[in-house]
Amino acid sequence: MVRQFLCLCVVLCQTAGAVESLAPQTQWIPDNAVLCVELSNPKALIDMLTSDTAFGALQKVPLYQTRNTNPKFKEFLTGVKFLEAALETSWKTAIRKLTGGGITLAVCPDDLVILMVDAEDADLLTRLHNIVLTMVRTEADNQGHSDRVASAEYLGVTGWSFDGKEAHAIIGHRLIFANKPEALKTVLELRARADKVGLASQVRYRAAREATAPDAAGQVYADLATLKQIPDLAAALEQGRANPLAGLLFAGIIESIRDATWMSVGLHVQHDTLAFRAHLDSANLDPKGPAGFALPGKPNEGALPNLSVPGGIASLSFYRDLFRFYGAKDDLFPERTSGLIFFENMMGIFFSGRDLTDEVLAETLPEIRFVVAQQQYDPALGTPQVQIPAFGLILRLRDEQTFDIVAEEAWQKAVGLVNFTRGQQGMPGLIIDRPVHNDTKFTMAYFSTATVDKDTNLPTRFNIRPAIALPHNYLILSSTDGLARDLIDAVTREAQQAVQPANQDHTLAELNGQALTAILRANVRAMVTQNMVEKGNTEEEAKNSIDLLITLAQFVDSVKLSIGTHQSLTRAELALKFNLD
Amino acid sequence: MTMTRRSFLKTTLETSAMMSCMPMVPDWLVRSSLAQDPSGNNDRVLVLVQLTGGNDGLNTVVPYEDPVYANSRPTLRLPVSDLHKISDQLAFHPRMAAFSRLYKDGHLSILQGVGCPDSSEDHAVALRHWHQADTEDRQTGWLGRLADHARLNHQTGVPVALVSAIKRPFILTAQQAIIPRIDTPDKMTLVRPTDTGPKRDAQTNGFLSLVQETSAQSRIMSDRIHQAAQIQAGDAYPSFALAQNLQTIAKLIRADVGVRVFFTELGGDGFGGFDNHANQIGNHCALLHQLSESVGAFVADLKTQGLLDRVLVMTFSEFGRTVNENGRRGTGHGAAAPVFLAGGKLKGGLIGQHPSLTDLQKNSLKHHTDFRQVYATALDTWLGIDSQAVLGQQFDTVDCLNV
Amino acid sequence: MDTQQTLDPNWAWAPYRPSTEHPWTLARAGHLYRRAAFGANWTQLQQALVHGPRKTIDGLLTPPADLAAFNRTYDDYDRSVGSSESADELRAWWLRRMLLTPCPLLEKMTLFWHSHFAVSNGVVKSAAFMRQYLQLIRSQALGSFHTLVQDMVHDPALLIGMDAIENRKSRPNESLARTLIEDFTLGTGAATDQDIRQAARAFTGNFVRRGRFLFIEREHDDGDKQLFGQTGPFTDKDVISILLEQPATAEHIVHKVYAWLLNEASPPSDSLMAPLTRSFARDYNMSRLVETMLRSNLFFSEACYRQRIKCPVEYALGMVQGLEGMVSTTQLATDLAALGQNLFHPPTLRGWPGKEAWINQATLIQRANLAHALLQGSGPYQGKLDARAILEKYAHTANQPDAQFFADLFLQQAMTPASGESIEQSLYDIVTSPEFNLA
Repeated sequence: MVRQFLCLCVVLCQTAGAVESLAPQTQWIPDNAVLCVELSNPKALIDMLTSDTAFGALQKVPLYQTRNTNPKFKEFLTGVKFLEAALETSWKTAIRKLTGGGITLAVCPDDLVILMVDAEDADLLTRLHNIVLTMVRTEADNQGHSDRVASAEYLGVTGWSFDGKEAHAIIGHRLIFANKPEALKTVLELRARADKVGLASQVRYRAAREATAPDAAGQVYADLATLKQIPDLAAALEQGRANPLAGLLFAGIIESIRDATWMSVGLHVQHDTLAFRAHLDSANLDPKGPAGFALPGKPNEGALPNLSVPGGIASLSFYRDLFRFYGAKDDLFPERTSGLIFFENMMGIFFSGRDLTDEVLAETLPEIRFVVAQQQYDPALGTPQVQIPAFGLILRLRDEQTFDIVAEEAWQKAVGLVNFTRGQQGMPGLIIDRPVHNDTKFTMAYFSTATVDKDTNLPTRFNIRPAIALPHNYLILSSTDGLARDLIDAVTREAQQAVQPANQDHTLAELNGQALTAILRANVRAMVTQNMVEKGNTEEEAKNSIDLLITLAQFVDSVKLSIGTHQSLTRAELALKFNLD
Repeated sequence: MTMTRRSFLKTTLETSAMMSCMPMVPDWLVRSSLAQDPSGNNDRVLVLVQLTGGNDGLNTVVPYEDPVYANSRPTLRLPVSDLHKISDQLAFHPRMAAFSRLYKDGHLSILQGVGCPDSSEDHAVALRHWHQADTEDRQTGWLGRLADHARLNHQTGVPVALVSAIKRPFILTAQQAIIPRIDTPDKMTLVRPTDTGPKRDAQTNGFLSLVQETSAQSRIMSDRIHQAAQIQAGDAYPSFALAQNLQTIAKLIRADVGVRVFFTELGGDGFGGFDNHANQIGNHCALLHQLSESVGAFVADLKTQGLLDRVLVMTFSEFGRTVNENGRRGTGHGAAAPVFLAGGKLKGGLIGQHPSLTDLQKNSLKHHTDFRQVYATALDTWLGIDSQAVLGQQFDTVDCLNV
Repeated sequence: MDTQQTLDPNWAWAPYRPSTEHPWTLARAGHLYRRAAFGANWTQLQQALVHGPRKTIDGLLTPPADLAAFNRTYDDYDRSVGSSESADELRAWWLRRMLLTPCPLLEKMTLFWHSHFAVSNGVVKSAAFMRQYLQLIRSQALGSFHTLVQDMVHDPALLIGMDAIENRKSRPNESLARTLIEDFTLGTGAATDQDIRQAARAFTGNFVRRGRFLFIEREHDDGDKQLFGQTGPFTDKDVISILLEQPATAEHIVHKVYAWLLNEASPPSDSLMAPLTRSFARDYNMSRLVETMLRSNLFFSEACYRQRIKCPVEYALGMVQGLEGMVSTTQLATDLAALGQNLFHPPTLRGWPGKEAWINQATLIQRANLAHALLQGSGPYQGKLDARAILEKYAHTANQPDAQFFADLFLQQAMTPASGESIEQSLYDIVTSPEFNLA
């Protein structure tokens, strides 16, 4: 720990000369870099990460609490305190001043890694450098080593190396660090050239940079054309084809990555929210191709806003033309697996021989929405041993006048089949009911309670009270009647407001951290026992790792994701809102 | 062969005296041949391909001239012009171009009208019958019994292997033998070579020498499979799971590690992909295309490698399907259906009559060849393994092989 | 082996006392823990050396004070798997119980009976029923065989597994009666078809309804049955008593336990087994039988040493015990299934055949790959077994070259490692050696 800390300090504080104006860091990065991370405004991120609330939150993490009693960590803290005293400033200020000019990290082929850091306060660097250099030499002396710091001149710059592997140099207020001497040489050669040939001038990089908003605190550039040649990544992209459900949900995303030559990710920091905005240059996505069913065609088309219900954990909204999707199944998922055929056979029965593609899926509008929510259990009955949240599927129909009754019949046939099969196996079945909620009559089914005593260990089946509701032109399928009622309210509100789709976004997802935490808490016991046999942990280890998971989930207020195609670029935005109180 | 790097001392309880630390003589390893086979009389291989779910034989080998066919299948009948003609009565499904090619080359035979007496309409029961090779309840599958039979001859080889990711099928249930799943060659390759030291004395402890000899053989097996897996097949296999499994089988045959029977399948766990009660036409197309292209690539690969004469591929399905369609553009569970044979030593052509489309049992075709006759043929004629010992009864063989 | 034909039963079954000729050694302690438990760690082996055979066996036989509490905790874990169709989680919990139980002999014998009353969840398809079934076995694994048989023939899982949930007066279930006689009690060939038909009538009226045993009196045939020279309106209980009066039953079980605990390489002579069979037939007390066997001169003699092939469970747990870790038993259960021992899924009603059947070229490759995965510390078993930590822990007491420490721990025999070989390589060679595959 101490050694690593010293190394880092040495790297950070090799003295800077007089402050001079330097070319942008990326001009000194080779143009074949496959990955480049830039933090042009590190202070925004540092402020967020070192805020009192963030620190308070960190102290709640069980892992951090044990780390605090770890002797090595204490040693590290002592080192930090010593430096703070010597520099006459707090570590937070020091980090801000040492890195405030910007940071760039680049990965190039042949495992070359380059890090550049621009300091704001050259004086602070000098002082830190002197202190650390003394420490390094004392340490070497104590261990009976000679001074191992070596240096050499290259193109008028002094390059340093500790052990012949790493190399670094100081130019002005800029520190350049490379994992191999040849990487440092390349940087120095680029610096010496008059023509601009670094990454900054590279066509793809410039296009990527342009896609990133100017106010971004940082950006990531990835050369996808090169990265996709990595066999594992190529295989992962191919995997999406194997599973019909994955093909449906990740359509447009996998194709975008397959098509793209670069990706840029802009990092935006606002108060308690971290937002990542990614762009890919997948301009050639064919709306008529197999994945076209997921691409909004006209302007103002796209996924509908997510539905919000009480106790909502997650909601997903997709622009997907199910009719086109299933019609292209030979291209999308050529294997005819047992599950798929079983699905078709059942659909054939439920929909009385209607053609699944032309007579069923064609009746739906190009959209799918899912909602996952906490559920309330009947206090008179008790709670199940494992609590599964309620989940619902929401579609809209082209012609509810003709199709409502078809869907209702299909649903009741399905319940009938489930009852028949369960009866054959000597298991209790479902009883169908038709309650009314806010003037909407819907259909639900619940498990017979004939042989069940009130219990906190009810069988898993008591998580399920399936329902179908058909308000307006909506089709709601829900795993519980409770969620069905909430969804009836939600879609009624939506119908009254004349809902607008998200322009050109085909995928929208939201996650509520607090509701997720609640459902995790309700299942702690099940997760702990699962963890014990799956990981070979003791009960205590298992509890700790589940506690950590819950603590981390607690820090998340919400996660929002949107993906779409905008002006021939694929755009994805991920916003993480933290809850650190 | 790596030289031993250590010697174990004091293998018994009482004697503290050093046992012999002779340097290992690789001879005894080399002598214990891997390619042992239960009968000792040939090195032929059987590849069983299960078509799970009940294949519609009528839309596979199509009696296109029979008016009953067209009349019974208003939506499922296949357009005559797209079919691959076999005779003036029969033709392959349009997506079976590769089977048609194999048939013309003499590498494919069609055994018509094969079925099970007491044919069950229940998937599980019918499949169980085909797996047991019996309509009475038995505790073992016939490939399991084949493996047990090999064990009786005191062999520690691997006579049967499962090459598929499906749940372990009942056909492999054995009383004694443990039948491995080798769906990728690396499953049967040592991650790290073993070293079991100098030869243990069989007189002192029979188990010890048994484990050691088997372990030595297993190293050879691992090496051979590893080497065979490295070789890139010249003929490209399609990306279908069945094709990939057949490619693995081709590698294992090439590795020559003594496996006599490989089991693989198309259609998947559960009821199976061939169970087309609704919207049959497109799904069946896709499946037959996969079957035909996969087996086509397998035969071509084996031919290139000069292995085809050692291999017999046999397809089977738990039942055929009803002659009439069911109102959902699908078919119900039937009875008799064709069995395909592929390989290098076939008599070729159509074997047996196509079952009548009018003389039916419960709207299904009647069989004239008991499925166990086909098994018996594969055992007696092809593998040279006593079929009665495996099937428990004597069945007439079918004259379809050129051996 | 011929040696056993000429063994004197009096000597064979007399308790072993260490002597200069037959000293109490590390090898004998290791042998004891392989047979009566699932292997040992270094502390246990060292303690055994200090305590001597009598006290060590006392410890293995006497249920420790905390056993009841431990089993209650683990019964709760078992219940947590709920009502699933798959027994995969149940497998994982059982393996974990085998590793952590204060009474491994109980689990060892539970495993024995699981193969004897070979019910498969492949047929039963209910974790809840399999859990009850195993609990029942465990409750009598070292108790009364008589009670065990009586309980088993009413166990829902067993009856479902044998396709015997309906025993109607008009159609007595002969396959249940046949299995009871030929597999559970007398053994093959000891009864005629006539005996089996008569016995089957006594079981009529036994049903399983909604997962519970149910006796329906009107379906019971209360007429006279003739069985082994006795006549009467026998019930299922009576039939079991009659079966257990037959000398063949005690012989069958004693021989089977002998193969499990002492020697499966060669069958013992009748004269050698006679004293045990006589004693066992008196009250079918398993605990006494197992105790006599474990304490005996024969058990600790050359005639039994390494005369069993480890089943996959013993092979894998031996490594985990020795290295004092706990691994993912979910993953381990899957890997053991590939080796031929899928817990809760014995291949047939005959159970696992054991002996040489465990060994073929494929299973040995897979045993070695499992050993590698367990030891290497990456993949599913990541960071759970730490050979170097064990070495450090005992280095001062072991006081020997590294490789020799592991040879002592796992094989209890001397070895000369190749020079410059890594400790990982030595350990791998030890656990893939022919000796380590034997119990």
